Amino acid sequence: MKRNEEELQTPITSMIDIVFQLIIYFIVTSSVDKDMVDETIKLAEATHSPAVETTDPRMVVINVNAQGKVNIALQPLNMKQLEQLLLAMKVQSGNSVPILIRCDGNTRFDYVDQVMQRAAKVGLYRVRIAAMVEG
Amino acid sequence: MKKKNEEAMSVPMSSMIDVVFLLLIYFIITQKDEISEAHLAVNLPAPGSSKPSDTKPQLLEIEVHENMYSLRGVALSLENLENTLAKFNDPDLTVIIKVSIQAKAKDLVSVLDLCQGAGLTKMNVVTLR
Repeated sequence: MKRNEEELQTPITSMIDIVFQLIIYFIVTSSVDKDMVDETIKLAEATHSPAVETTDPRMVVINVNAQGKVNIALQPLNMKQLEQLLLAMKVQSGNSVPILIRCDGNTRFDYVDQVMQRAAKVGLYRVRIAAMVEG
Repeated sequence: MKKKNEEAMSVPMSSMIDVVFLLLIYFIITQKDEISEAHLAVNLPAPGSSKPSDTKPQLLEIEVHENMYSLRGVALSLENLENTLAKFNDPDLTVIIKVSIQAKAKDLVSVLDLCQGAGLTKMNVVTLR
Protein backbone atom coordinates (compact mmCIF):
# COMPACT_ATOMS: atom_id res chain seq x y z
CA MET A 1 0.00 0.00 0.00
CA LYS A 2 2.80 2.36 0.97
CA ARG A 3 4.68 1.50 -2.17
CA ASN A 4 1.66 2.34 -4.37
CA GLU A 5 1.36 5.84 -2.92
CA GLU A 6 5.01 6.59 -3.58
CA GLU A 7 4.67 5.52 -7.19
CA LEU A 8 1.72 7.82 -7.77
CA GLN A 9 3.21 10.96 -6.29
CA THR A 10 5.85 11.64 -8.90
CA PRO A 11 3.77 11.72 -12.14
CA ILE A 12 1.00 13.92 -10.69
CA THR A 13 3.23 16.90 -9.89
CA SER A 14 4.85 16.90 -13.32
CA MET A 15 1.45 16.44 -14.97
CA ILE A 16 0.10 19.44 -13.08
CA ASP A 17 3.08 21.51 -14.18
CA ILE A 18 2.51 20.61 -17.79
CA VAL A 19 -1.28 21.11 -17.62
CA PHE A 20 -0.79 24.58 -16.14
CA GLN A 21 1.68 25.41 -18.89
CA LEU A 22 -0.80 24.21 -21.49
CA ILE A 23 -3.61 26.28 -19.94
CA ILE A 24 -1.44 29.41 -19.91
CA TYR A 25 -0.36 28.76 -23.49
CA PHE A 26 -3.96 28.33 -24.70
CA ILE A 27 -5.12 31.50 -22.91
CA VAL A 28 -2.31 33.57 -24.39
CA THR A 29 -2.67 32.31 -27.96
CA SER A 30 -6.47 32.48 -28.03
CA SER A 31 -6.54 36.15 -27.04
CA VAL A 32 -3.94 36.97 -29.73
CA ASP A 33 -5.84 35.07 -32.39
CA LYS A 34 -9.10 36.81 -31.57
CA ASP A 35 -8.16 40.33 -32.59
CA MET A 36 -6.01 39.32 -35.51
CA VAL A 37 -7.60 36.79 -37.78
CA ASP A 38 -10.94 36.09 -39.34
CA GLU A 39 -10.37 32.54 -40.52
CA THR A 40 -13.17 32.64 -43.09
CA ILE A 41 -11.35 35.19 -45.23
CA LYS A 42 -9.11 33.88 -47.98
CA LEU A 43 -6.82 36.71 -48.97
CA ALA A 44 -5.75 37.27 -52.55
CA GLU A 45 -2.21 36.15 -53.29
CA ALA A 46 0.71 38.46 -53.87
CA THR A 47 3.97 37.25 -55.41
CA HIS A 48 6.08 40.42 -55.71
CA SER A 49 5.43 42.11 -52.39
CA PRO A 50 7.45 41.52 -49.25
CA ALA A 51 5.76 40.07 -46.20
CA VAL A 52 5.35 42.45 -43.30
CA GLU A 53 7.49 41.79 -40.28
CA THR A 54 6.22 44.30 -37.75
CA THR A 55 2.77 45.82 -37.52
CA ASP A 56 1.74 49.03 -35.85
CA PRO A 57 -0.16 48.20 -32.63
CA ARG A 58 -2.63 51.01 -33.41
CA MET A 59 -3.57 49.36 -36.71
CA VAL A 60 -7.30 49.00 -37.33
CA VAL A 61 -7.93 45.72 -39.08
CA ILE A 62 -11.16 45.70 -41.07
CA ASN A 63 -12.27 42.31 -42.33
CA VAL A 64 -14.47 42.18 -45.41
CA ASN A 65 -15.67 38.71 -46.34
CA ALA A 66 -16.65 37.43 -49.79
CA GLN A 67 -20.29 38.42 -49.21
CA GLY A 68 -19.31 41.96 -48.30
CA LYS A 69 -19.97 41.61 -44.58
CA VAL A 70 -17.68 43.80 -42.50
CA ASN A 71 -16.24 42.96 -39.11
CA ILE A 72 -13.54 44.26 -36.82
CA ALA A 73 -12.06 41.71 -34.42
CA LEU A 74 -14.92 39.36 -35.40
CA GLN A 75 -17.46 41.97 -34.28
CA PRO A 76 -19.87 42.54 -37.16
CA LEU A 77 -20.43 46.18 -38.07
CA ASN A 78 -22.64 48.07 -40.45
CA MET A 79 -21.31 51.02 -42.41
CA LYS A 80 -22.54 53.61 -39.93
CA GLN A 81 -20.91 51.83 -37.01
CA LEU A 82 -17.72 51.46 -39.04
CA GLU A 83 -17.65 55.19 -39.70
CA GLN A 84 -18.17 56.00 -36.04
CA LEU A 85 -15.44 53.59 -35.03
CA LEU A 86 -12.99 55.03 -37.57
CA LEU A 87 -13.81 58.53 -36.39
CA ALA A 88 -13.17 57.49 -32.80
CA MET A 89 -9.84 55.94 -33.81
CA LYS A 90 -8.87 59.10 -35.65
CA VAL A 91 -9.68 61.30 -32.65
CA GLN A 92 -7.75 58.97 -30.40
CA SER A 93 -4.67 58.30 -32.52
CA GLY A 94 -4.57 61.09 -35.12
CA ASN A 95 -4.49 61.07 -38.91
CA SER A 96 -1.67 58.57 -39.09
CA VAL A 97 -3.69 55.69 -37.66
CA PRO A 98 -3.02 52.79 -40.06
CA ILE A 99 -5.98 51.00 -41.57
CA LEU A 100 -5.70 47.51 -42.95
CA ILE A 101 -8.43 46.09 -45.12
CA ARG A 102 -8.38 42.31 -45.09
CA CYS A 103 -10.72 41.49 -47.92
CA ASP A 104 -11.42 38.09 -49.39
CA GLY A 105 -9.97 37.62 -52.88
CA ASN A 106 -13.46 37.09 -54.24
CA THR A 107 -15.02 40.14 -52.63
CA ARG A 108 -16.50 42.46 -55.23
CA PHE A 109 -14.63 45.75 -55.27
CA ASP A 110 -17.96 47.42 -54.61
CA TYR A 111 -17.81 46.32 -50.97
CA VAL A 112 -14.16 47.25 -50.55
CA ASP A 113 -14.98 50.62 -52.05
CA GLN A 114 -17.69 51.24 -49.46
CA VAL A 115 -15.18 50.67 -46.67
CA MET A 116 -12.63 52.91 -48.41
CA GLN A 117 -15.23 55.64 -48.81
CA ARG A 118 -16.01 55.58 -45.11
CA ALA A 119 -12.32 55.83 -44.31
CA ALA A 120 -11.89 58.73 -46.73
CA LYS A 121 -14.99 60.46 -45.38
CA VAL A 122 -13.53 60.40 -41.89
CA GLY A 123 -10.27 61.79 -43.27
CA LEU A 124 -8.12 58.69 -43.31
CA TYR A 125 -6.74 58.57 -46.84
CA ARG A 126 -4.01 56.00 -46.38
CA VAL A 127 -5.17 52.45 -46.18
CA ARG A 128 -3.47 49.13 -46.70
CA ILE A 129 -4.84 46.08 -48.40
CA ALA A 130 -3.74 42.74 -47.07
CA ALA A 131 -2.52 40.01 -49.39
CA MET A 132 -1.15 36.56 -48.74
CA VAL A 133 2.50 35.84 -49.43
CA GLU A 134 3.37 32.27 -50.29
CA GLY A 135 6.27 30.61 -48.59
CA MET B 1 15.16 -3.19 -6.00
CA LYS B 2 15.72 -3.10 -9.71
CA LYS B 3 12.16 -4.26 -10.39
CA LYS B 4 10.64 -1.49 -8.23
CA ASN B 5 12.63 1.25 -9.97
CA GLU B 6 11.55 0.11 -13.39
CA GLU B 7 7.89 0.08 -12.37
CA ALA B 8 8.15 3.56 -10.85
CA MET B 9 9.67 4.87 -14.09
CA SER B 10 7.14 3.36 -16.43
CA VAL B 11 4.09 5.26 -15.05
CA PRO B 12 5.21 8.91 -15.56
CA MET B 13 6.74 8.15 -18.93
CA SER B 14 3.47 7.08 -20.55
CA SER B 15 1.55 10.16 -19.35
CA MET B 16 4.46 12.37 -20.35
CA ILE B 17 4.39 10.86 -23.81
CA ASP B 18 0.63 11.53 -24.02
CA VAL B 19 1.12 15.16 -23.12
CA VAL B 20 4.09 15.56 -25.41
CA PHE B 21 2.06 14.16 -28.31
CA LEU B 22 -0.75 16.56 -27.51
CA LEU B 23 1.70 19.45 -27.50
CA LEU B 24 3.21 18.24 -30.75
CA ILE B 25 -0.19 18.01 -32.44
CA TYR B 26 -1.16 21.44 -31.14
CA PHE B 27 2.02 23.03 -32.46
CA ILE B 28 1.63 21.36 -35.85
CA ILE B 29 -1.94 22.68 -36.16
CA THR B 30 -1.06 26.22 -35.10
CA GLN B 31 2.03 26.32 -37.34
CA LYS B 32 -0.17 25.95 -40.41
CA ASP B 33 -2.12 29.11 -39.58
CA GLU B 34 0.98 31.24 -39.66
CA ILE B 35 0.52 32.73 -43.11
CA SER B 36 2.66 35.71 -43.87
CA GLU B 37 0.82 38.74 -45.13
CA ALA B 38 1.85 41.63 -47.32
CA HIS B 39 0.25 45.00 -46.72
CA LEU B 40 -0.16 46.99 -49.91
CA ALA B 41 -0.40 50.70 -49.18
CA VAL B 42 -2.79 52.78 -51.26
CA ASN B 43 -3.95 56.38 -51.13
CA LEU B 44 -7.60 57.27 -51.39
CA PRO B 45 -8.87 60.35 -53.18
CA ALA B 46 -9.81 63.13 -50.79
CA PRO B 47 -13.35 64.28 -51.41
CA GLY B 48 -13.41 67.75 -52.95
CA SER B 49 -9.70 67.75 -53.81
CA SER B 50 -8.73 69.11 -57.21
CA LYS B 51 -8.60 66.56 -59.98
CA PRO B 52 -5.04 65.48 -60.67
CA SER B 53 -5.79 65.17 -64.38
CA ASP B 54 -4.12 68.51 -65.28
CA THR B 55 -1.08 68.22 -67.52
CA LYS B 56 1.13 65.92 -65.54
CA PRO B 57 3.35 63.66 -67.59
CA GLN B 58 4.46 61.43 -64.72
CA LEU B 59 1.04 59.99 -64.18
CA LEU B 60 0.19 56.40 -64.92
CA GLU B 61 -3.39 55.30 -65.29
CA ILE B 62 -4.34 51.68 -64.92
CA GLU B 63 -7.91 50.53 -65.26
CA VAL B 64 -9.02 47.33 -63.58
CA HIS B 65 -12.14 45.52 -64.70
CA GLU B 66 -13.08 41.97 -63.94
CA ASN B 67 -10.21 39.91 -65.38
CA MET B 68 -9.32 42.80 -67.67
CA TYR B 69 -6.67 45.44 -67.28
CA SER B 70 -5.74 48.47 -69.32
CA LEU B 71 -2.78 50.80 -69.08
CA ARG B 72 -3.28 54.33 -70.41
CA GLY B 73 -6.30 53.11 -72.33
CA VAL B 74 -4.64 50.07 -73.91
CA ALA B 75 -6.02 46.69 -72.88
CA LEU B 76 -3.31 44.36 -71.59
CA SER B 77 -3.00 40.94 -70.05
CA LEU B 78 -1.52 40.66 -66.58
CA GLU B 79 1.81 39.40 -68.00
CA ASN B 80 2.04 42.28 -70.47
CA LEU B 81 1.16 44.71 -67.73
CA GLU B 82 4.00 43.36 -65.64
CA ASN B 83 6.48 43.74 -68.49
CA THR B 84 5.29 47.24 -69.28
CA LEU B 85 5.35 48.37 -65.67
CA ALA B 86 8.93 47.15 -65.32
CA LYS B 87 9.96 49.92 -67.76
CA PHE B 88 8.62 52.63 -65.45
CA ASN B 89 11.07 52.07 -62.65
CA ASP B 90 10.52 55.43 -61.01
CA PRO B 91 9.41 55.55 -57.37
CA ASP B 92 8.08 59.11 -57.79
CA LEU B 93 5.68 58.11 -60.51
CA THR B 94 2.09 58.47 -59.39
CA VAL B 95 -0.07 55.54 -60.33
CA ILE B 96 -3.81 55.98 -60.51
CA ILE B 97 -5.65 52.69 -60.41
CA LYS B 98 -9.24 52.98 -61.52
CA VAL B 99 -11.18 50.00 -60.36
CA SER B 100 -14.59 48.98 -61.64
CA ILE B 101 -17.06 48.06 -58.91
CA GLN B 102 -17.64 44.79 -60.77
CA ALA B 103 -14.01 43.78 -60.32
CA LYS B 104 -12.90 41.38 -57.63
CA ALA B 105 -10.58 42.35 -54.81
CA LYS B 106 -7.98 39.90 -56.15
CA ASP B 107 -7.82 41.81 -59.45
CA LEU B 108 -6.89 44.97 -57.56
CA VAL B 109 -4.44 43.09 -55.36
CA SER B 110 -2.65 41.59 -58.35
CA VAL B 111 -2.23 45.03 -59.94
CA LEU B 112 -1.02 46.55 -56.67
CA ASP B 113 1.35 43.64 -56.32
CA LEU B 114 2.77 44.21 -59.82
CA CYS B 115 3.22 47.92 -59.09
CA GLN B 116 5.05 47.06 -55.90
CA GLY B 117 7.19 44.58 -57.80
CA ALA B 118 8.02 47.28 -60.38
CA GLY B 119 9.28 49.58 -57.64
CA LEU B 120 6.37 52.01 -57.78
CA THR B 121 5.33 53.46 -54.45
CA LYS B 122 2.56 56.00 -55.04
CA MET B 123 -0.57 54.03 -55.75
CA ASN B 124 -3.94 55.76 -55.70
CA VAL B 125 -7.18 53.87 -55.94
CA VAL B 126 -10.17 55.48 -57.63
CA THR B 127 -13.52 53.81 -58.16
CA LEU B 128 -15.11 53.62 -61.59
CA ARG B 129 -18.87 53.85 -61.58
